This record gives sequence, C-alpha cells and structure tokens, in this order.
Amino acid sequence: MPATDYHASFLGRLSIRRNQVIAMDGNHEQELEDLELFSKHVSECFTELLSPPDDVPFDTLLSIPWLRKLLDVFLCCEAEFKAIIMMGNDSFQISKPPLDRLIPDLLDRSVKALDICNAVTNGLDSVRHYQKLAEIAASALEQKPIGDGQARRAKKALNSLMLAMSIDDKDCSAVKTTERSWSFSRRGVNKDRSPGHFRQVAKSWSAAKQIQTMACNLVPPRGAEASGLASPVYIMSVIMVFVMWALVAAIPCQDRNGLLATHFPVPKQLNWDQSIIGLHEKIGEEWKKKEKKGAAGLLAEMQKMEKLGHNLMEFTESFQFHGETDEKAAAHAAELAETCRRMEEGLLPLQVKIREVFHRIVRTRTEFLHALDQGGKSSAPLV
Amino acid sequence: MELPENPNKDNNGYESAEKIILRWDSTASEEAREKMIFETDRHEADLYLHAVDEIQRSLSNASISNTTTAAAVAVDDQTKVNSTIQIAMARLEDEFRNILMTHSSALEADSLFDPSSSSFSASSHHELEDDDAVNNEDSSHGDLLQLQLQHCESSDSSTFRSTSSIRELDLMPGEAISDLQAIATRMISSGYLRECIQVYGSVRKSAIDSSFRKLGIEKLSIGDIQRLEWEALESKIRRWIRAAKVCIRILFSSEKKLCEQIFECVGTDIDDACFMETVKGPAIQLFNFAEAISISRRSPEKLFKILDLHDALMDLLPDIEAVFDSKSSESIRVQAAEILSRLAEAARGILSEFESAILREPSRVPVPGGTIHPLTRYVMNYISLISDYKQTLIELIMSKPSTGSRYSGDQSTPDMEFAELEGKTPLALHLIWIIVVLQFNLEGKSKHYRDASLAHLFIMNNVHYIVQKVKGSPELREMIGDDYLRKLTGKFRQAATSYQRATWVSVLYCLRDEGLHVSGSFSSGVSKSALRERFKTFNAMFEEVHRTQATWLIPDTQLREELRISISEKCIPAYRSFLGRFRSHIESGRHPENYIKYSVEDLETAMLDFFEGYPVSHQHLRRRSQ
Repeated sequence: MPATDYHASFLGRLSIRRNQVIAMDGNHEQELEDLELFSKHVSECFTELLSPPDDVPFDTLLSIPWLRKLLDVFLCCEAEFKAIIMMGNDSFQISKPPLDRLIPDLLDRSVKALDICNAVTNGLDSVRHYQKLAEIAASALEQKPIGDGQARRAKKALNSLMLAMSIDDKDCSAVKTTERSWSFSRRGVNKDRSPGHFRQVAKSWSAAKQIQTMACNLVPPRGAEASGLASPVYIMSVIMVFVMWALVAAIPCQDRNGLLATHFPVPKQLNWDQSIIGLHEKIGEEWKKKEKKGAAGLLAEMQKMEKLGHNLMEFTESFQFHGETDEKAAAHAAELAETCRRMEEGLLPLQVKIREVFHRIVRTRTEFLHALDQGGKSSAPLV
Repeated sequence: MELPENPNKDNNGYESAEKIILRWDSTASEEAREKMIFETDRHEADLYLHAVDEIQRSLSNASISNTTTAAAVAVDDQTKVNSTIQIAMARLEDEFRNILMTHSSALEADSLFDPSSSSFSASSHHELEDDDAVNNEDSSHGDLLQLQLQHCESSDSSTFRSTSSIRELDLMPGEAISDLQAIATRMISSGYLRECIQVYGSVRKSAIDSSFRKLGIEKLSIGDIQRLEWEALESKIRRWIRAAKVCIRILFSSEKKLCEQIFECVGTDIDDACFMETVKGPAIQLFNFAEAISISRRSPEKLFKILDLHDALMDLLPDIEAVFDSKSSESIRVQAAEILSRLAEAARGILSEFESAILREPSRVPVPGGTIHPLTRYVMNYISLISDYKQTLIELIMSKPSTGSRYSGDQSTPDMEFAELEGKTPLALHLIWIIVVLQFNLEGKSKHYRDASLAHLFIMNNVHYIVQKVKGSPELREMIGDDYLRKLTGKFRQAATSYQRATWVSVLYCLRDEGLHVSGSFSSGVSKSALRERFKTFNAMFEEVHRTQATWLIPDTQLREELRISISEKCIPAYRSFLGRFRSHIESGRHPENYIKYSVEDLETAMLDFFEGYPVSHQHLRRRSQ
C-alpha cells in the first residue's frame, strides 16, 4: 500500500479516537493500541525501503529515487508521531515526565538535523557540479567517431571531475590543492580553490560528529515508560538519526570521517526496528567497500559516474584516432549521459524534498517549544 | 558539389590560423605555457581571436561539403579541425580564467565602507529607562525579570556606504570585459558553453567569498546560533542587516551586471546561468543566518531585534526580487519570503509568550516599602518600546489577544471587556491586555503583604507608574486611549483612598468626641482617665504608623506630596481641635507630658517623614524637652 494512503487512514482513525478520548477517562488502552499501530507502520515503511525502487538500475541502495522515498517515509512517520504526542493533550503531557526530559533531547537532535539538511543541500550543489563536468565528457564522447579533440576535451573534463570528487571526499580543510584545473602550470598563481564549491559552514563543523552526538544518548525506554509516550519519542529519534545518517553517507558534505562508527544502540528485541537495522547494516557494508576505493559519498548515481569516469579516463588517455568507433567506450559514454540525465531530473526534486523535511522539523520544533513553555516549567534553557 | 572556391586561399587562411593555434598549445610548448596571450599585447590577442574565427569558419564549411568522393577526406578534415578547435578552446579557457582572476578580488573597501561616516546615526529608537532606584531592589524575582532589555538602536547604516537602493558597480575595467566577451562568444559558438560557465562560476565565487569575509558574514550553523547568548546575537544581527543590504544591492547586483556585460551577445539564458552559478551558494549562505534567527527559541527580549530583522528584510524584498528575477533563482526568492513570514510569526509568538509570562510571573517576595515592582517597570518599558515599533507591529499583529484560561489551573484569569474597546487595532488591544494582565498579577502580589495598608499603597504606586508611563509616550497613549487611562487613574486614586481608610480611620478614632463625657454637660463632665487613655493610644498608634510608614516608599514626588497632604488634612485639624478642647484637662493633672507628647507642629513635621523610604528613630518625633 502506498505510504500516503496508509498515512491517511491511520490519521483518520486517530482523529476519531481523539473524540472518544476526550469523552472517556481511562483511555490507556486506546493509547497502547495507537502506539502499536505506529510502530507497526514504521516497521512496514522501512521494510519497503529494503529493496530499491522499481525503475532504478543500480545495485547500491542509496540512489536519488530511494533517498526521496526515504524522506517521504520520514515525513509520514513524523506526522503520525506528532499526532500521537499532541493528541487531545494540549500542552499537559509534554511538560510532565518523562516527556519533559525526552522532548528537549529530541529538539536538540532536531537542530542538528536542520544543520545536516543544510549541509546536504549544499553537498547536492557539489553533485550538480560533478554532473556538469560529466556532461561535458559525455557529450564530447558521444560523437562517432571520436576525434583527438573530443578525446582531449573529455579527458580534461574527466580530470576535473575526478579531482573534484576526491577533494570533496577528504576533509576540506586538510587538503592542499596542488593539482589545478589549469592545462599547464603557472607561476605565482595561488588563488585556486576547490573549484565550484562554496563552503557554507565553518571549518570546524563536522557532519559525522553531528550524527554521533545525535546518536549518543539514544536510550530505549525501559519498564513502565516503554508502554507510554516515551516509546514513540524513542522511535522517532531513531528514525531521525537514521535518515540523517543515510543522507550524509550518500552525499558529500563536510567531514564524514568516522560516520561508519556511529553506533546505533538499538536492541534487537524490539521488532519495529529490524528493517532499520537491516538498512543500516546494508549501507554500512557498502560504505566499507567504498572506503577502500576512496570516493565521495555513496550516492548510486555518483558512484556510477565515478566508475564510468575512470573507465573513460583510461580510454581517453590511451586514445589514438583511427576513424573507428570503440563500441565499449561509446557504451560507457552513453551510460554516463544517462546517469547525468538521472541526476538532472532527480537532484532538484531531492533538494526540494530536503527543504520540505527542513520545514517540517522546524514546524514541529516550534510547536513543541510552545507547548513546553505553556506547561510553565522553568527548566534548563533549551536551544 | 564542388569543393569550396579558392581552395588555396582558404587553405592558406586556414593553415596560418592553425599555425597560430598550435603555437599557443600549452600542452606542446614551454613558451606557450609561460605567457598569457591576453597579457602580452593586443596584437597577439587579436591575431589569436582571428585565428579561432578562421578555424570555426572552416568547421562549418567542412560540415557543409559532402561530396561522395571527399566524404572520407571531409571526415578526416572535420576531425582535424575539431582537434584544432579543442586546442584553441582549452587555451581560451585558460585565458578566460586568467583575465577573470586578474580582476577578481573582493570589493574594494571604499565601495563598501563610507570613509567619512560618523559613529552612530542620529535617530535611534526610544531608549530604555535605566531607573537606578530599581537596581538595589530585590533581585530574587523570577526569570522574566533577570532579562535586561537592551538599548535598541535603529539599524546603523553609517559605517557602510548608503545602501538604500540598488547600485551596480563596475567590477572590471572595460577592456577586460570586452576581452572576456570576445572569448566567451567564441567558446559558446564552438559548443564549449559548459566549460565557460564552470570557469566563470568558480572564479567569481572566490571573489564573492572574499567580499563576504570583508563584510563580516560568518559561517555559523543553526546549532551555533541557538547556543549563543542573545546579546552576542544582537550585534551579529545588526551586522548582518548592514551586510545584507550591501550584498543584495551592491554585490549581487554588480555581479549580475557583469554577467550581462560579458554574455551580452549570447542571450539571457546564459548570463542567467552564470549569475546563478556564481551567487546561488553565497545567497543561500547569507539567508541561512536570518533563517536560523527566525527559528530560534522565542523569548521576550528577542522581540525588537527580530522586528529589526523583519523590517530590514521587508525593505530588501523588492530588491531581492529584482536581482533574482529568473526562473532558476526562484528558490532564493521563496526562501526570503519564507524567512520573512517566519520572522513575523516569531514576533507574534513572542508577544503572546510575553503576555503569558506576565500572567505567570511567580515571585512572591513582596517588594519592600510597597514601591514599584521590577515587573511593572519591565513591562511598561517593554510596551513603550513596542509602541515605538508600532508601524511594523500594527501590520503584523492581526488577532486579538486570547483572554481565555490558558491552562487547566484553577486560578481565575483577568478578563477584558471588548465592547468598550471597539475600533481599536489588535495591537492596541494587546497592549491594553498586557496592562490588564500586569495589574492582575500585581493584585496577586499585593496579597502577600501582611499589612493591608501597604498592599493598597503598593497598588497605588504601581498603577500610578503605569499611568505615568502611558502619559509619557504619545504613541502608547494614543493606542491605550483616554478612556482606559481614566479607568487606571481612578484605580490608583481608589487605592489611595483605601490606604487612608485602612491606616487612619483607627488613628483618628482616638480623637473622637464620643465616650469622653461622663454626663450630659460640657463643662466638667470629661472623664480624665478616658482622656488620658485616648492620648496614650493616639500617641502609640501615631508613633507606630510613623515609624512603619516612614520606611514605606512612594517614588513619585508629586504623588507622595499629594498623599501626605491628604492625610494631613484629615489628621492635623482633628488633632488641633482635640488638643484645643481637652488639653486643659490633662495639663491640670499630673505628668501631662506623658500624655500630650506632641504639638501640632511636631505632627506636621512628622508627616514629612512618611513614605520617604528611610527608617526614623523614635526620638525624632519628640521635640518637647523634658
């Protein structure tokens, strides 16, 4: 069932219950049922994510269409989560234990998530930059037969592409750019920078550290707490950390060293998270594979681009014009063009979707902050 | 079809062009690497450009000719020509980059800063009162009061050049621009548009980055901003407002003009693409700061800077739309509009939080001496400042204050009669509501005084202060309205009356006539013992009242005077008349000085001690020597 339909029916039932809730006292059973429904739904959504979307030819998970689906799942779960917390309760529940402690933690994670959204959006600009470079190479090599000129042109573009990808992968501040995108060396010129990338965050900001901090006090509720609202808060927190983690794994953004080490302290006896754990493991394995080769981000389209780029680079380096078409190279060039096309189609909607996630997190955070203030407790200053 | 005419001539032209191109092939010769064509001399540059043109012409000729016999040759030719073109384009790309880099530094200081500026602009907003009297007041009152309201300046534009409207600078000299134009045209007509855009974007982005640093635009994350102290943020906001004006109106608009100039001949899509390639990242970085502020946690002291930010962005919006007018820049326009609307929401939210906070303000320790409570000062100063921002807030505040019970607690909440407040703007209603809520809270606080008289004095002082503040601000007065002002005035007068009744009725009771006469006649039927009792009681009571109420405080001089006079007018004549009628009875007995301790003048002098806020010694009252 498509996520949105399920979402609508779930919320429909929720609102009917809300009326009942107000009328009744002792609605604890209702609440329990709703919580179960929520965790069941979460489990289903993430199970669906275990396999890539239909029209995607990649064998790696983190493709642009998959990421968009992931973000849709996030939005859907988030909406249900908020409905559960705010259901008929005004601000009362939120300012009582355990929520009075757990919600501020969630809000703290939300702020980090917002920064990650911004960083990832910025990172997508880098990806677009790669796309543009790849397009140069692909269109140069589309010609049949390829001449010296086209080969050189492609080689130049591919050089820039590989350079850009490797720079963006390393910690930006640590790399001294000695190679340049000049076609020859120049004396006395030192204004060159990582081409095409405008750094938007301070050098000290690290995506990996943000995620590690987000994950560090994720503690599942125990005992009596586990049957109350602490559970959905925990679930939502795990979802948020996972989604951000996946985004950072896929898309180049500043400092992802140690991302793999992010510990997801999710005990296996809970059953809603099996799929999330599965996804985490799968992506983790891909990451390990990549780390050996050293590349910028796990995004499937980018990995493809990189692989094709390497092949074509070899081709152009050993190129000699003989008036005949090298079929293999032509096929690779066509594939590269196709990958660029996918990026062209997919990157902007992905950025729009991330922005939507950003707005949603802001909105929920504002509402929670308001509710906490109304509860009137003067607790430690929240961010 | 025949081969093109004058093949020799064409070939010669082509060949010499090809030679030139190959001579400058940087992958082939050392010399080619060492010099830049466009730096060498004009003649070389022109020659090169002509050569490129020649090669391009050949390319189009070669692609037209399609004789069967020459097919293979044509393909070969085409390939060769393409190869030459590629060499030329690679070279032109480098030349393009070089020219750009030579002329791409951060905006010069005097384009940005006005060297002749004075320190602060003259018009600043209403300054907050700095009542010294309050500083030694009880500082143990709740969170709300520990927040200091800052002095709010209007946005200070004096250190930067006047940035009230778009001003496009010439970022490069004309010669450089025409060179760039010449190169760009040829690159684009050879199908090397993408390379051109890439080079352009990367160089100009660096320049903008340097300008950003000069303008003090920081790279702060949302997390950083949430953690900073608000005071630190205030100065960052001020700086951002100034910087944003320069960015939009000068920096970005000049970049746009540069793109238009360089890519003039090749159509608007391209100069748009280059412009966006250059400024999109920086623009987003710029707006990220404002966005982070707009989502920060709401608390009252943030209101005014948020309004400043809102106003600045509102002011900039038309220019943002003018500079970012293409389809591809829609996301920037949208982001700016979103931030504006969030700032407005934040302002509304803060006002509403403020109202709740006043209601909830929990301090129970009564202010010593019944003087003006810090909450009163804070709130009244705050709403005076709000009235300074009236213009903006009137637009933003669109709904009436919610006067219903906000939480399930049992306290009754104040209510407000909206009927008599017809025709008032929502902002005015909010201000009145704030005063209503403040009074409600003060009533609650007054109950913590053990002495009822002091409670009344407290209310009198505080409501009087409210009235004075309202009268002192024309905007505030106009919004609150004279009707409500009258109500408030009546309230503090009422409190004064209540005070007098609470304290003085029993004191003056001692000076009544009844009960002193034992028989019906006047002459000798006065009970001496009763009389002595009366004097003693009166003395004791007066001394007590004097001692206690000298330490009470009415800060407002005029009010203090008025109350003292009012008390005196009741007290002194009564004592004078009492003394006049009965002193002889006491003086004819023993130890009259034990009973008639004070003269009328003594009492009059004692009156001057009341409500000064200083303790007085008992001896102070006694003037009669033994």
